[in-house]
Amino acid sequence: MIDESMVEETIRHYNEAIFDTDRDRALEMVHQALERGMTPEDIVFKVVLPAMDQMIKSISEAFDTSLAQHYMTAQIADSVVAEMIPKFKQAPQVAGRVVIGSAEGDLHSLGKRIVIGCMRARMIEVTDLGVNVPPERFVDEAVAHGASIIGISAMMVHTARGSNGSLGVRRILKERGLEDRIKIVVGGAPYRFDHELYKTVQADAWAEDGVTAAGVIAELAEEVRT
Amino acid sequence: MITGMDRLVAAINGEKSDRIPVFCNLLDQGAGELGMSLKEYYSKGAHVAEGQLTMREKYGYDNVWSLFYVGKEAELLGCREILYADDGPPNVADFVIKDYDDIANLQIPDDISASPAFSEERECLRILRAEVGGSYPICAYITAPMALPAILMGMDKWMELLFLGPADVRDALLDKCREFFVKETRAYRDAGADVLLYANPFGSTDIVPMKFFSEQALPWIEKDIEAVGSQGVVYYCGSARFNRVIDVVLEKTGIGVYYLSPLDDIAPAKEIIAGRGLTCGVINDIPLIDWSRSEIRDEVRRLIDAGMPGGKFLFGTLLMPLAIPEENIRTMLEAAYEFGSY
Repeated sequence: MIDESMVEETIRHYNEAIFDTDRDRALEMVHQALERGMTPEDIVFKVVLPAMDQMIKSISEAFDTSLAQHYMTAQIADSVVAEMIPKFKQAPQVAGRVVIGSAEGDLHSLGKRIVIGCMRARMIEVTDLGVNVPPERFVDEAVAHGASIIGISAMMVHTARGSNGSLGVRRILKERGLEDRIKIVVGGAPYRFDHELYKTVQADAWAEDGVTAAGVIAELAEEVRT
Repeated sequence: MITGMDRLVAAINGEKSDRIPVFCNLLDQGAGELGMSLKEYYSKGAHVAEGQLTMREKYGYDNVWSLFYVGKEAELLGCREILYADDGPPNVADFVIKDYDDIANLQIPDDISASPAFSEERECLRILRAEVGGSYPICAYITAPMALPAILMGMDKWMELLFLGPADVRDALLDKCREFFVKETRAYRDAGADVLLYANPFGSTDIVPMKFFSEQALPWIEKDIEAVGSQGVVYYCGSARFNRVIDVVLEKTGIGVYYLSPLDDIAPAKEIIAGRGLTCGVINDIPLIDWSRSEIRDEVRRLIDAGMPGGKFLFGTLLMPLAIPEENIRTMLEAAYEFGSY
């Protein structure tokens, strides 16, 4: 029987380490908890995921969080989950399948990397298509991997709004009759400065930052599945 | 005739001119003015200078730029591949630093002014200085040492090195970037740039937590400015917010001009600066692509109403996307001239 106060203490120290962008301290908390009898499943579902949810809550409440904290949340969550999953008693259920990449003409990859780390921690199977991805490839890869979500990152106005970004993916989904099965989620700097832009580029949803994006994608994947 | 420089100097000194200074940052639009592709336009400093002069004359705003595109700094440090688009700014397509061994091999040119990669910028600055030097502020864009690695190795790789180390490799890269920054600043000043935009996203609490800012970023910012002096330097965090750190940056560096994020609140920023410097209120130029005439005028009025009382205020834009219709640029500027008049 796990002492609930130990769980709470682990959560608190882990969250503090995440907010201080201190990966070593966060990993130390996880390993100490393992040694004291916490299960790998509890580490993931009671510590790592709630810490991500706490970050999302802080963002939504305009509490100060920064890009570096989002990046560190994703990196730490990804590495802890990768370490814990092989130790699970049963392989976890896949919560959804996603392909993600940067729009054609866009070579930025940080935002995408944050989203990927957070999605993996949520048991979402992610295929990273890299940067400068043409719209046809987004759709082809989504079909090949059985993905219900296409994630498109764009850090520049012309790659967000251009015909080879989300608009191009939408056109192909429509042509192939895939719109019911595959949804588009967009993110990146231009969307932070224009909250209506995701509608202009005909995406189904957007997110303000990488940590929140993983939550939005998880919800949308669940909607498509049901 | 009152010039842009007159307006800027008056605003810095807390005096009134005919109106507040208005900085409009049009770069890629110059190619259209000259009827050429972006790749052709950016191949010659003479083209960029002509584009800048033509646009300033056409719209009547108060500044010109020597900046081609942000990746130009990476070219000075060895980048050989730039990805051009028809509808947006060129981007670094080949990182100079692919692994940590490349950091040890990174060469900082002794004299940037004499570097072949700087020759077209030098030519651009020569023309700008000859045509509008002293009349209209000539702006240069200089990436801070802590931000420069992002265009040399990619932002994600740089975040990894910055936050996770190895510390000796990180510090070696930062030292080289500082050396470049000091030499680059000197080259721009020698070539006639008046306004030096010190671009540092790591000086914003949108990008790094306050603890990191206080313990790591701020000491670097202090050393940067100590090395080059604060004359003509503008604090800018690449569209990220920085209201929370203005007071300490002002106190520690003496930088006198703050180019806010469109997401910062102008009135609190002015209160914090409290007459010790120039506040630059910046319009969110991404929705400007789609806004109606009345929406543009309302937004310009809102920003100027928040910043103009008490003086020491400049109205500005970020790097204006190419997709903004010319009519919207004119509407924004006419509103800024109207509402910003004394």
